[in-house]
Amino acid sequence: MTTIMDIIRLLTETPLIFVSIAGLTWGILGGALPGISASITMALVLPFTYTMDPAQAIALLACVYIGAEYGGSIPAILIRTPGTNSSAATVIDGYELNRQGRAGEALGISLMSGVIGSLFGLAMLIMLTEPLSWLALAFTPASYFGLGILGLSVIASMSGGSLIKGLAAATVGLMIATVGTDPISGVTRFTFDIPDLLGGVEPVLVMVGLFALTELMSQSGSTNTTQLNQKIKIKLPSLAVMNRLKRSQFIGCVLGLFEGLTPGGGGSIAAFMSYNEAKRWSKTPHLFGKGSEEGVAAPEAANNTVASTALIPLLSFGIPSSNSTAVLLGGLLMHGLIPGPRLFEQSAQVIDSIYVGSFIAIIAQIGVGIIILPACIWLVNRPRPYRAGFIFALILSGIFTLNNSLFDLGIALALGLVGFLMRIAGFPVLPMILGVVLGHMVESSYRRSLVLSGGDHMIFLQDPIAVALLSIALIFVVFSLSREVRDARKTRIEEARS
Amino acid sequence: MRKDLISGLVLLAGAGTYYAWAGEIADSTLSDEVGAAGLPHVLAIVLAILGILLMGRTLLASQARQVAAGADDDERDARLPRAVGFLLFGAAYVILLPFVGYVIGTALLIGGIALYEGAPRTWVVPVAAIGGGIFYWAVFVKLLGVHQPAGSLVQGLF
Repeated sequence: MTTIMDIIRLLTETPLIFVSIAGLTWGILGGALPGISASITMALVLPFTYTMDPAQAIALLACVYIGAEYGGSIPAILIRTPGTNSSAATVIDGYELNRQGRAGEALGISLMSGVIGSLFGLAMLIMLTEPLSWLALAFTPASYFGLGILGLSVIASMSGGSLIKGLAAATVGLMIATVGTDPISGVTRFTFDIPDLLGGVEPVLVMVGLFALTELMSQSGSTNTTQLNQKIKIKLPSLAVMNRLKRSQFIGCVLGLFEGLTPGGGGSIAAFMSYNEAKRWSKTPHLFGKGSEEGVAAPEAANNTVASTALIPLLSFGIPSSNSTAVLLGGLLMHGLIPGPRLFEQSAQVIDSIYVGSFIAIIAQIGVGIIILPACIWLVNRPRPYRAGFIFALILSGIFTLNNSLFDLGIALALGLVGFLMRIAGFPVLPMILGVVLGHMVESSYRRSLVLSGGDHMIFLQDPIAVALLSIALIFVVFSLSREVRDARKTRIEEARS
Repeated sequence: MRKDLISGLVLLAGAGTYYAWAGEIADSTLSDEVGAAGLPHVLAIVLAILGILLMGRTLLASQARQVAAGADDDERDARLPRAVGFLLFGAAYVILLPFVGYVIGTALLIGGIALYEGAPRTWVVPVAAIGGGIFYWAVFVKLLGVHQPAGSLVQGLF
């Protein structure tokens, strides 16, 4: 049980304060770079957390996520290019405000709405995650199998319109997870007498390869040279302005909460939904699209809320609902922290560090956001060829840090190529990452359950938690399938008409 | 659409290869009912089915959609050689790193990528490359204490 004294101790711990602010700063800088999403920003720093204290490492990643969500709004407002997917909705009115010479105000509204959204999201995270930990004591291997399947069922809603491709990517991910030593018998599988493969392929290599390297390869040859005005300064909104924006911020927070809890929801859906709802409930809907302050406040409150609330299904059930939470899940696994209920049983320190670190980052965001803006603008203005070289060198340096292994570098590069080919062929990469991350848990809990039941599969239908989790997974898959069939039918009808 | 057909074939081939490799997994006296090869065999079959489904769906798709997808596919195809070239710099880095060490290897990588990505051939390229190599070495090796290869060539010289 976490006491007030624990929180005060963590709040006053210098390393956690340093780690939180460092993570936040890195997140804002990464998020501000067009093409570098929140998940890539997290994946870039992930290898460097390998040698850190687990609690601080996870807190750092959570703070990077918070920073990246705000950072993404900077180029969205200044150059009409969202730094992250979830800041795409901010472009609409943020850039209009910039064109009217009110870029500083737009950045200030974005910053403060983000802080409000993050605080709300953090409060929800603390309130909702703790009670769920009570389930921990009742979890059996069969329950963990149900949990893994529920995590994998997210794939159905993240397959980008092709469930077959999503499932194929997930299957390949599960295949990668079988490389190494068998969790039950200790027999080696697919290692081809290579010692580096005995421990399997680390999820972090898959994430860095599929997210970061693939993105760099995709941007190769791009000639986008938009320059930012170096003299822009953030103008924080007055209390009167904040009072005017409270309705749209509230809408953003509520929708951010629901989307964060929904597997496959994510910040971009929350941002666009809250933009629409804010317009619907606004007293000045005619200003939307023409430089509305509410049009910036609502999506920014929403995507920053998601940065915290998306951690609820992750920490409670081990279900990563987005790319960024998948990276965070990779971070947890890298430090030997089993995602899901066991985390609360065995590693309460990690949970406390996430809460306290996030709180420090959210509050520090106001100061850091103002101070770091010139650095963000400077970084965005660097010529793309040099930026690509520096980011590539950073990625490779980080991967080598993991095990001092050149073999790891080769694996990550190969996975970068695989990710690029998948992108060309229209295969989503997230299901593959989920397969790698959850594969070990699914297989080992399935086989342990069968060992306990003497090979009787009814064990999965006798465990109430397993039944509940498997049922939810089935609902997700059926819902996604029906949606895909409906969309395909709609497309066929439209094609026939045209 | 042609891409989906090729993808389906690749999935089938991959499934077949993986199934064959799974057959070579050794038995163990510690093994359970499912065995170490159980899941790999199931996964191979699932992947093969998905490959067949993908090809089947593609063949049944309408001609109109094939025409619409054509332009997009060509644009993405054109990026492949360039992206592979980008990755080759990484492969060269992996090969050279044990010999030239971290600072020189990183400098070569940054300079090479900058030129490959179209940076003007001026004095800025070597300065940025060498500066970048030294900067990363100072941050990671000196400040954070992260191990990076010194390089046999550099060690031989000093």
